[in-house]
Amino acid sequence: PDAPTVLRYATPYTAGHPLSRADQQWIAHVERISGGRLRIQPSWAGGLISSEHNLVELRHGVVDVATISPIYTRGGTHAIRLQAGFYGGEQSIDDQVAVYRCLQASFPRLGQELAGLVPMEVQGGNVLGIVTRTRPVRRLEDLRGLRLRVPGELVPLLRRLGADPLDMPMADVYPAMAKGVIDGVVAPADTLKALHFAEVARFYNQLRIARGAYPARAISEDSLRRLPPDLERLLLDSRIVWERAVASEFKQAEQVGIDYARGLGMTFVQPDPVAQQRLDALYLAEAAQAAANADHGLPGQAMLRVAQDTLRRLRSGSRPPCAGPAL
Amino acid sequence: MTPELIGALSIAVLLALLALGVPIAAVLGLVGFTGLALLTSIEAATIKAGVVGWETISRYELGVLPLFLLMAHLCFTAGASRDFFDAAAKLLGHRRGGLATASIAGCAGFGAISGSSLATAATVGLVALPEMRKRGYAPSLSTGSIAAGGTLGSLIPPSGALIVYGMIAEQPISKLFAAALVPVATQALLYIAVIILLCRRNPALGPVSERVPWRERFASLGRIADIAVLIVLVIGGLTVGWFTPTEAASIGSVLAMLLCARRGKLTIPALRRALAETLRTAGVIYAIIIGAIVFSVFLGATGLASHLTALVIDANLDAKAAAAVIVVVLLLLGSVLDGMALMLLTVPIFLPMMVGLGMSPIWFGIFVVRTIELGLVHPPLGMNVYIIQGIAKDVPLGTIFRGVLPFLAADMLHIALLILVPATALWLPGVLA
Amino acid sequence: MSLPPPDDFGEERAPQPLPTGLTGVAVALGSVALLVAMATDALAVLGRHFGFPLLGALELVQASVSVAGACAIVCASAAGAHAVIHAVLDRVSPASRAVLAPAGQLLGAAFFLVLAVGCGWIAWDLRAAAEATDLLGIPLAPLRLFATFALIFTATLFVRTAARRA
Ligand code: NA
Ligand code: NA
Repeated sequence: PDAPTVLRYATPYTAGHPLSRADQQWIAHVERISGGRLRIQPSWAGGLISSEHNLVELRHGVVDVATISPIYTRGGTHAIRLQAGFYGGEQSIDDQVAVYRCLQASFPRLGQELAGLVPMEVQGGNVLGIVTRTRPVRRLEDLRGLRLRVPGELVPLLRRLGADPLDMPMADVYPAMAKGVIDGVVAPADTLKALHFAEVARFYNQLRIARGAYPARAISEDSLRRLPPDLERLLLDSRIVWERAVASEFKQAEQVGIDYARGLGMTFVQPDPVAQQRLDALYLAEAAQAAANADHGLPGQAMLRVAQDTLRRLRSGSRPPCAGPAL
Repeated sequence: MTPELIGALSIAVLLALLALGVPIAAVLGLVGFTGLALLTSIEAATIKAGVVGWETISRYELGVLPLFLLMAHLCFTAGASRDFFDAAAKLLGHRRGGLATASIAGCAGFGAISGSSLATAATVGLVALPEMRKRGYAPSLSTGSIAAGGTLGSLIPPSGALIVYGMIAEQPISKLFAAALVPVATQALLYIAVIILLCRRNPALGPVSERVPWRERFASLGRIADIAVLIVLVIGGLTVGWFTPTEAASIGSVLAMLLCARRGKLTIPALRRALAETLRTAGVIYAIIIGAIVFSVFLGATGLASHLTALVIDANLDAKAAAAVIVVVLLLLGSVLDGMALMLLTVPIFLPMMVGLGMSPIWFGIFVVRTIELGLVHPPLGMNVYIIQGIAKDVPLGTIFRGVLPFLAADMLHIALLILVPATALWLPGVLA
Repeated sequence: MSLPPPDDFGEERAPQPLPTGLTGVAVALGSVALLVAMATDALAVLGRHFGFPLLGALELVQASVSVAGACAIVCASAAGAHAVIHAVLDRVSPASRAVLAPAGQLLGAAFFLVLAVGCGWIAWDLRAAAEATDLLGIPLAPLRLFATFALIFTATLFVRTAARRA
């Protein structure tokens, strides 16, 4: 038999990271299904793929398959970034991925922004909560004056709530919270253990802040076309396996984070239901504004409509065909 | 050619080019680029080199390096470094190697501001090397003690390396910081012991000055009161949380500028000179970092590191023997890979093995950061040594490596102690818990 | 950077002329960029404590340090300050040195040229990407171009040194 075709895969995460465990499941699946004709050579955390320039690197063949982060890229992925703010009301990672699939079906621009690449996995994330050092957040008023590290896209929302949002490198957040430079951080529960936030904060406030999905793994088109047709098909069919593996690892990591934080005596704060409703309304108002102000010729309002329409149909139990198979 | 063979060959080429006097940054970068081109394509290797170059100069975390250097150059402009070493000379100068000891203390103090070995070695080197030379210290002792002393910076909290380890290993960072304190204190004491022993054997290495009366000592201390205020403000501000470690560089520079103004040294020409020298020093360091990262990315892609680690795992040893073998593997890899890459590549593999052998992950964190930082000073490649050479250009690299050797011996003793008595790391976090 | 001779230190050092020409421009630009980075970071800290938060300060610092970094590489190269191992070079015959020294400089030029091509290629790829920072909208294309030109200029500095040593 011929020597197996080798595809090089790179990720900035270490081998033990939950995302890498999902990658390993996908690798094992692909190698098994291909009967040994396809071999994936992984490179964990070796710096082979950058966490900032991964799209450019993948297009030029630094590796064949890679973890990508179009959502953190500061140019050329305006549509992918814009749509990530349109997920108000999502209830699960499955919701998030379904919405992205429907957006992708309606707006070719999302695919064009990844020209030269073929997405291999659409990824959502665990819902965001608010980690605070010294005081709980039950009502939106409790956010006033809190100095919070937030992802860039949430800055306008948090500002509107009277908080004092700021940006700082993720690596600085732990020491900054330990010393009280900041009062907290907007982050999912998995970071309570993974980034040790539970060590330096007393409250995890479960005001849900919606989270968008985006393509997080891709293969370069050149590498895909070089494969024999059956292997190409096999890879494309393996996408759902990867998506399911990531979603299940995320769920596990969330539980691990919660258990760890409970063990350290962290308090999990349930928000006042009225506060959650008001937050959701504000989130949607921000989304509407972002959609109306969308530049780079993006059909912001149409995208927001499709996203919200998909969520409504998922809620009413009539999963639209564009949503694809459930995770 | 297999990737592993390309990796092994590239190391030979690297050493040959280095010996022939090609700039160190260019050797690292070009060998890495060529190797990467062989493994992927010229196009891919070029893009990767461009990414590394751009990210090195544009990342906030690395961007603070020139600001730390600016702080050092401004202290120099203010005459603060001269006064500091004058005071050290009056207090310790009558003891053998007193100024080298003061430099170790300076490294420890700066290490409490900065998270990185490189920043520590570069900043303290800029300040201390000319002062020691002026007082007749042998270049081998002065450069060696600062190259070694710089490694204190990556273990003393705040430690960038321990934060990264905590994230990979999912260990409490506060515990790691606490665990680092006793080992880092013993490390500094061992370095001081080395200096005293060296100077006792050969007094010409660190000349002794006359003992001065206490009145003069107090007077010299009075002259550095404003420097003491600067140091207390920076370390204190970090401790109580006025600013983050990365912001400390800017705050320190502003304070150093105020120091210049207070001493009447803040003239436009002096400022321009300090800035120009900061840029020159930073350029040397950036070039080396870019070259080292390109090379490191290439070696990571060859899979050489995973081969070596697989060998250790296959050998089925007990905990102490395994730790000893890990030291050897890390030192081998540490002569060609940069510290962060080494940690990211090997910790996920070695940690489960050592935990399986009954060792604490907290202990392993201290052990692994301690061992990896040796790679910064041991021959043939050592980033700290290159940085010192970039600062003290007329001291041959061989002299610096020779100067480092006695400290390396102390390092090995220290690591042996860490392996044989894990309590050196585990005692303090246990007490604090 | 060389150490000054033992009897000539710090502020007592005889003033050397600052570089002129393009290198002089690099020194001036890099100096301004360093001061901007320093002041921005320090003001952000002050602002945080006195109730005028400077959102996006980090982006300005990042942009400034990238300019400073590119200038720094030019300055180091113009001063011939890059670290080199002299062990062999100092012991070979003058004839061999006349080959080795310029060859080393040409390899230095090649290294910075590779970096320049890579950096410029990425800038070209992203020419239509409207790359800008999140909060302040600082465009990145000019910064990438600046770094590319600085690296090209650095390569020519090495070629010039090679020609002088040949
Ligand atoms: Na430190
Ligand atoms: Na080394």
